[in-house]
Amino acid sequence: MPEPLYEPDTAISAGGAGGATDFAVDEGETLEKRPDGGPQGAGPGKPRSLWSDAWRDLRRNPVFIVSGLVIAFLVVISLWPSLIASGNPLQCDLARAQEGSQPGHPFGFDGQGCDVYTRTVYGARTSVTVGVCATLGVALLGSVLGGLAGFFGGGWDALLSRITDVFFGIPVVLGGLVFLSVVTSTTVWPVIGFIVLLGWPQIARIARGSVITAKQNDYVQAARALGASNARMLLRHVTPNAVAPVIVVATIALGTYISLEATLSYLGVGLKPPTVSWGIDLSAASPYVRNAPHMLLWPAGALAVTVLAFIMLGDAVRDALDPKLR
Amino acid sequence: MAEPARQTEAILEVRGLHKHYPLTQGIVFKKQVGAVRAVDGVDLDLAAGETLGIVGESGCGKSTLARLLVHLERPTAGVIRYKGEDITKLSGRALKAVRRNIQMVFQDPYTSLNPRMTVGDIIGEPYEIHPEVAPKGDRRQKVQDLLDVVGLNPEYINRYPHQFSGGQRQRIGIARGLALQPEIIVADEPVSALDVSVQAQVVNLLDKLQNEFGLSYVFIAHDLSIVRHISDRVGVMYLGRIVEIGKDAEIYDHPTHPYTQALLSAVPVPDPTAREHRERILLTGDVPSPANIPSGCRFRTRCWKARQRCAQEVPLLAVPAVFRDDRSPAAHDSACHFAEEKHVVPLEPGPVT
Amino acid sequence: MTAAPASFEPSPALLEVRDLHVEFRTRDGVARAVNGVTYSVAEGETLAVLGESGSGKSVTAQAVMGILDMPPGRITGGEILFQGRDLLKLKEDERREVRGREMAMIFQDALSSLNPVLSVGEQLGEMFVVHRGMSRKDARNKAVELMDRVRIPAARERVGQYPHQFSGGMRQRIMIAMALALEPALIIADEPTTALDVTVQAQVMDLLAELQRELAMGLILITHDLGVVADVADRIAVMYAGRIVETAPVHDIYKAPAHPYTKGLLESIPRLDQKGQELYAIKGLPPNLLHIPPGCAFHPRCPLGRDMCRTDEPPLYDVPDGRGSACHFWQEAHHG
Repeated sequence: MPEPLYEPDTAISAGGAGGATDFAVDEGETLEKRPDGGPQGAGPGKPRSLWSDAWRDLRRNPVFIVSGLVIAFLVVISLWPSLIASGNPLQCDLARAQEGSQPGHPFGFDGQGCDVYTRTVYGARTSVTVGVCATLGVALLGSVLGGLAGFFGGGWDALLSRITDVFFGIPVVLGGLVFLSVVTSTTVWPVIGFIVLLGWPQIARIARGSVITAKQNDYVQAARALGASNARMLLRHVTPNAVAPVIVVATIALGTYISLEATLSYLGVGLKPPTVSWGIDLSAASPYVRNAPHMLLWPAGALAVTVLAFIMLGDAVRDALDPKLR
Repeated sequence: MAEPARQTEAILEVRGLHKHYPLTQGIVFKKQVGAVRAVDGVDLDLAAGETLGIVGESGCGKSTLARLLVHLERPTAGVIRYKGEDITKLSGRALKAVRRNIQMVFQDPYTSLNPRMTVGDIIGEPYEIHPEVAPKGDRRQKVQDLLDVVGLNPEYINRYPHQFSGGQRQRIGIARGLALQPEIIVADEPVSALDVSVQAQVVNLLDKLQNEFGLSYVFIAHDLSIVRHISDRVGVMYLGRIVEIGKDAEIYDHPTHPYTQALLSAVPVPDPTAREHRERILLTGDVPSPANIPSGCRFRTRCWKARQRCAQEVPLLAVPAVFRDDRSPAAHDSACHFAEEKHVVPLEPGPVT
Repeated sequence: MTAAPASFEPSPALLEVRDLHVEFRTRDGVARAVNGVTYSVAEGETLAVLGESGSGKSVTAQAVMGILDMPPGRITGGEILFQGRDLLKLKEDERREVRGREMAMIFQDALSSLNPVLSVGEQLGEMFVVHRGMSRKDARNKAVELMDRVRIPAARERVGQYPHQFSGGMRQRIMIAMALALEPALIIADEPTTALDVTVQAQVMDLLAELQRELAMGLILITHDLGVVADVADRIAVMYAGRIVETAPVHDIYKAPAHPYTKGLLESIPRLDQKGQELYAIKGLPPNLLHIPPGCAFHPRCPLGRDMCRTDEPPLYDVPDGRGSACHFWQEAHHG
C-alpha cells in the first residue's frame, strides 16, 4: 500500500446532514477534533506503541510460539535440571558403557558408562549459560562502543571501524585454539570471555550503523533544535529507534555462540571435564559412532534444536520489528 | 545593504552567510580537494511579524540555510544576528536560551516525529528541556492546549505518531515548534509532503498561528504559489545565493532577474486557457554542481542574456542601476547586470465569474 | 461516458478500463483500492488521471500494465480492453508481449527504475535485442538515436555512462526514451515530473507532450498536480477513494467543476497571480481504504452531503457536453 492507513473518520458532521452548508474551514478542524470512530472505533484506535504492535505480531507467529516454547523449556531445565532428570551426570558405571536404551535410561549409556539422558539434560545448563552470558557481554560491549562511535563519529569512530576490521580478520576456531589452549581453568568463563572478545565487533558494527541511521532522522534534529543535550538525544531518541537490529542480531548470535562453545569443546580447547557439555559429549562419542550412535545422536540433536530455536526466534523478532512491513 | 525604509526593526539579520562542506580524499590522511558551497554568501533580514519566503530548486541551498538559521549547523563564515546579537558563535546555556526563540518545522512528517514516543511526550519534550518555561504540573494541560491550537483532539495525547495521517503529524510537529513560544519559526517545506487537500489546511493553520502569536516565519519551499500565498517578502535562491528579493508583488509581478522569470514562467498554472497565451522560458541544461560554481554570475551558464561581463564580474544583490531612481515595483534587489522587467505570470480571470 | 461500441467517435478507444476492482490484503483487513473504475483513452489522446495519494490512480495503472503486486493485490472484477482484447484474460507470456511492445510506463523515480550497474546504452539497447532480435552493435546505435530524440546532449559520448552520472531531468528523459523505444501505442506516465524541479519539469513535460503528438500515442498521465494537468491533458478523470468522481474535457472542468471534490481541490490551491486571504480547505481527511464510508465515499468531507449520500452510492451521472459526475447533487456543485 502506498499510503499509511488513515484513522477511520466516518461519521458525517452534524451540520452536513441538514443540507448545503457553506464552505467553512472550521468545520474541517472540528471534524478532526472529534474522537475517531465514536463508539464503534474503540478497539483499534487505542494507543499502540510500535513495541506493542510487534508483540501483537509475535504472539500470532507460529515460528515464535514454537521457538519460544523450546527456549522456555531449555531455560527451565537449565535452572532446575533435577525436575526431569533424577540422576547425577557425573555418576558413571564403566560396566554399563555403551549400553543402549533401557528402562530408566531412555538414551542409554556413554563410553564411560554415564547416563546419556542425564548428561544431555545437564548439558543444557552449560550451553544456555554460555549462550546467555556471552550474548549479554557481546551486546553490552558492542552496542555501547558501536553506538557511541556512530553517534559522535569522528576519530574514535574511524579507530573503532579499523579495530572491528582487524577482529573480523581473525578466524574464530583458530583463534579459539590459540587463545584457549593456554587456559587451564575448568569453568565456563574463559570460553565466555573468548566469545565476547571475538563477538563484540559484529554487534558494534550493527549498532553503529543503526545509530547512524537513527540519528539522521528529523526528530533527532528537532530535539537538537530544542536545545536537547547529547545524552537526551542518545537515550530518548536514538537508542529506542536503534535497538531493534541489535536485539535481532544478538538473538541469532546467541544460537551461534552455543554452537561455537560446542565446537571449541569438541576440539578440546573449550570446556573441560568435569563440566558437562554437549560439545564434550560429542567429542567423547565420536570414536564409537558405528557401535553406539545413540551416544552421539542425543547431544547432537539437543544442540541442533537449541541453536535452531534461537535462530528462529531471531527471525521471528526481525519480522515483527521490521519497519518496512509496518 | 540599501534596503528601502523598513516599518519594523529586523528581528533576524543575516550577513555574508556561508556554509561550505569540504570534499576530502583519502581515508587516513584526509586531504581537502574542494568544497561544496551549499550556502555561499546570503544576506537577508526578517522583520518581526513578517513572513519571508525563500524559493529555489533542489540543491540551491535553501534547506542548508534553514538549518543554519536554527543553529543545526555552524556556518563557515558570516553572522546571524538575533535582535542584534550574533548567535553563530554561541554555545551552552546562551545557545539554549536563543533556541527557545527560534524553532523549526520540518518537511517530512514521517521522520520528524519519534515513533517510540507518544504525542504527549513529543510535544511535552520542549518543557523537559526547558523546565523553566512550564512547571511540571502544568505541562499536560499545556500540551493539550497546544493540540487544541493546532486543531487536533486533546484526547489524542497518549497516541503514537503512526496512528496519524501526514497532515495530522505535521500539526503535531507545529505544536512542538510552538511549545516554547518562539518568536521565529523556520519552516522547511512544511507542506510539500502533504496531499493537495491537506496542504491548504496546514497553510491556513500557519496563517492563523502567525496572527494569534505574532510569529515571524521564514518559509522555505519550492512551490512558488504557496510561497506567494503565505509570504510578505520573497527571496529567490540559486546555487547558494539569493539572486532576487523583494515584496511578493515585486517578485511575482515585476521580476527583474532572468532566473526568477524562468522559474515563474515554468510553474504549471491550473488553467488550461493559459496554455495558448503563456510565454514559457525554457532554460537549457541543468543546475551546475555547488562544488563547481561558475565564475562571475552563477546563473550565466543557463542564462539567455549572458555576456562577457557575466563571466567576469559577480553581480551584487542590490537595486539595479536602471531602476535606481525609479519608484516602480521593479526597483528591488536583483543580482543581475542586465536586469529588466518582464511579466511572466499570466494575469488570469480565474474560475470565479 | 464509455459509449456503446458502435458510437460516433472520431477514433476508436485504444484502451478501455471497465468497472475495475482491485483489493489489497493487509494485516488489518482488506483495503479496497480500486472500486469500479471505468475510463478510456483514444489514440493520440492525453487522459489525465488526477487524485491524491490512496485514490487508486496508480493502482489502476499498475493493473493496466500488469505489474500489480499479486499478492497482496488482487483484481476482483472488471475488464481491461486494449485494442479490443481483454488483457486480464491473456496468459502471462502474452501479457509480457503486450507490455513494453505495445504499452509502456514511465515512473516517478527514474533513479530506482534504472539498473545502476548497466550503462544507459545497454539498458536502452536491451529492448531492441530482446524484442527485435537486433545485434548488440545495432542496438547501441538505436540507443544513441533514442537519446538524441529525447534531446540528451552529446548522446554518442554519453551512451556508455551509468544512470548515476546523469541529472534527475536527464534520467527522466532516459526513462522516456526507454518507454518510446518500441513505439508503443499507449504510454502510462505515473507522476513523471513530480520529483523534478519546476524548470526541469517544464522541459520534460514539453518533451513528453511533443513526442506523444508526433507518434500519435495514447497517454495516461497520472498526477496530483492540477497545474500539470491544465498544461497538457485533453481529458481528465478525477479519482477519490478508488472511484472516478468526475470526468470531463480539461477546459470544462477548470471552468465549472461538477463534483464538490473537484471544486474543493481547485479552490484549495493557492494561485501564482494573486495573494489570497485564506485558502479554502476541504475539511477532514482522505478516507481509510479499509473503512471506506458507505454511500458516497466523499460525504464526510462534502459541503453538499445529506442523508441520501450516506446510504446511496452515486453512479456516474451524465453531465452535458460529454462529462460525468458521481455526485447526487452535481447540478448544485456545477451551478452553485
